Amino acid sequence: MNEKKLALLSNVNMDFVVRQLQKSVKVYRTEGYGNELGIMMNQSSSYHAFGPDITFLVMDLMELIEHELDPAAAKQRVERWFAVVSDILEPNIIYYISDGYLWGPELEVLSDAGQKARLEHIWQDALEELSGKHSNVRIFPYRRMIEKLGEKNAFSMKMWYMGRILLSNEAQRTLGELILHWAEVEGRVSKKVLLLDLDNTLWGGLAGEKEHTPIQLSEEHVGLAYKNLQRVIWQMRKDGVLLGIVSKNNDADAMEIVTNHPHMVLRPEDFSARRINWSPKHENIREIAAELNLGEDSFVFWDDNPAERQLVKEMLPMVTVPEFPDRPEELAQAMGEIYRQYFAKAQVTEEDAARAAQYAANAERSHLAKTTGSFEEYLKELKMSAVRVNPKEHVERFCQLLNKTNQFNLTTRRYTQGQAAMLLEDNRKRIYMYQVSDRFGDNGIVVVIVVDCAGDIPMVEDFVMSCRVMGRNIEDALMTEVEADVRAGGYEYLRGKYIPTAKNTPVAGLYDRLGYKRVCEKQGEVEYELRLANTPGRMYYITIKQEGAE
Amino acid sequence: MTEKVISLIEEVLDVPRGTITEDTRIEDVEEWGSLEHVAIIGELEEKLGIAVPLEESLEIESVRELLDMCENCG
Repeated sequence: MNEKKLALLSNVNMDFVVRQLQKSVKVYRTEGYGNELGIMMNQSSSYHAFGPDITFLVMDLMELIEHELDPAAAKQRVERWFAVVSDILEPNIIYYISDGYLWGPELEVLSDAGQKARLEHIWQDALEELSGKHSNVRIFPYRRMIEKLGEKNAFSMKMWYMGRILLSNEAQRTLGELILHWAEVEGRVSKKVLLLDLDNTLWGGLAGEKEHTPIQLSEEHVGLAYKNLQRVIWQMRKDGVLLGIVSKNNDADAMEIVTNHPHMVLRPEDFSARRINWSPKHENIREIAAELNLGEDSFVFWDDNPAERQLVKEMLPMVTVPEFPDRPEELAQAMGEIYRQYFAKAQVTEEDAARAAQYAANAERSHLAKTTGSFEEYLKELKMSAVRVNPKEHVERFCQLLNKTNQFNLTTRRYTQGQAAMLLEDNRKRIYMYQVSDRFGDNGIVVVIVVDCAGDIPMVEDFVMSCRVMGRNIEDALMTEVEADVRAGGYEYLRGKYIPTAKNTPVAGLYDRLGYKRVCEKQGEVEYELRLANTPGRMYYITIKQEGAE
Repeated sequence: MTEKVISLIEEVLDVPRGTITEDTRIEDVEEWGSLEHVAIIGELEEKLGIAVPLEESLEIESVRELLDMCENCG
């Protein structure tokens, strides 16, 4: 596996995919989801500190268009998203953006069958335009993945309702593999030449025995399996893969078929090199390498005969020799796999380059709405508001937040229901609980801060926030509130603590960022202090209301 | 069935065999966060064909409750 650093950002919960990726690559620990633009815009975000080489943006189209199925309205939202992304692309990061797949329960009752496709096209057009303009933006084949799995296997309504996890476990695993695959493609040099055997490889049966048994290559049965294989190979050639024949036959018999057989898809002019003779194949391959002036590591050799494969593997270890399927019906698919593994190119093709030129010429007519694309603008436009709620009325949520929050959790103290009830009755504790809304709707109760005022200097002993609202500087606003409230209670200082766990690294530097001074460090635990009179100015855009107030 | 469900849970949580028993309470398992809980409910359906209803899924507090639910839904 290469050492590239990856990031996966999304507008739905992808935490599990991230964890899966973590097992084999360096991957950014996403702060929640649905804040992909904010994370990328904010130059001081943990995303930029992590510094990914490749960023995968896997977006759910339905969430992005906010269930707005009217094409004009959906178009506005899609173009706005792309306009922002276009403004914040970093030249040293490769971006893979998912192509559009629209899924939602209401699509089942759409009377206009073409509407789904039209909405997906809006996304596709904008995506192609962006990738045409920027050589570091690629299209991530998400749509194909869903189609292969089928909607029934790919999506899970229940997991969506439970935790904003759109994809089934199976689909999440597949997505993780797909991301790893493309990350690997990005890091490797692809193969250039596919060398093919003929008999029982490009067609069934043996050339030169026409009188007794004609070869199998046709529009039906086994013959069609070989023809379809040739169709796949032909497409690969069209996309720039060089082809060669390395086969033990009489040249005349074989070429008679390649030239004249009505069902041959590949013709003599499709092959850049040809060795049809009875010499050992590794010798032929060496000659072809010299002829094409390519290293042996540029070659993939495919032959149905295991002995031939073995010989080439031993004699030419640089040549890639994939396995050959047992059955003709598996041929076309196996070739697709070979393409993905060895030939697929991450770089833009010439066709893409041509399109890029066309876009450059048309740059003036760009219809994407201009936005300033700053993190501040983004936060402002979210129009967030927080309401302080009474924890005694939300005991269950109180426990849930403290016990189930892993990432944004400064001290990771867990409470039983009984302990929580006692805590809520303890008048030496100041407890702050907030519900947060934004222009997209209500995020529910997402923050709990517990300040213990039993000692001389009050201490923030619990500070948790749900990952769904992370990365929006909400904590800056709420801590400012808490500090003001503590100060109004007659205290001069406030202390906080960070206890590291395997999962809470996203908040490791939180108190530093909020302007607290480190007063004590032991075994990774850091204690901080702020003189409340010196509360620094912080950047946030959220209105704070008291419960019941308008 | 009990064994299958328990080993599925252990697999999702990535904990050693024997960590989870019928008497385990969810809140006592550090690894069993809300996200893992969703994955477990999802796996039960995808791998074992057990569709625990949404509302019950959200209320379950122990392995025993989950097993009872599986009995009723399997």
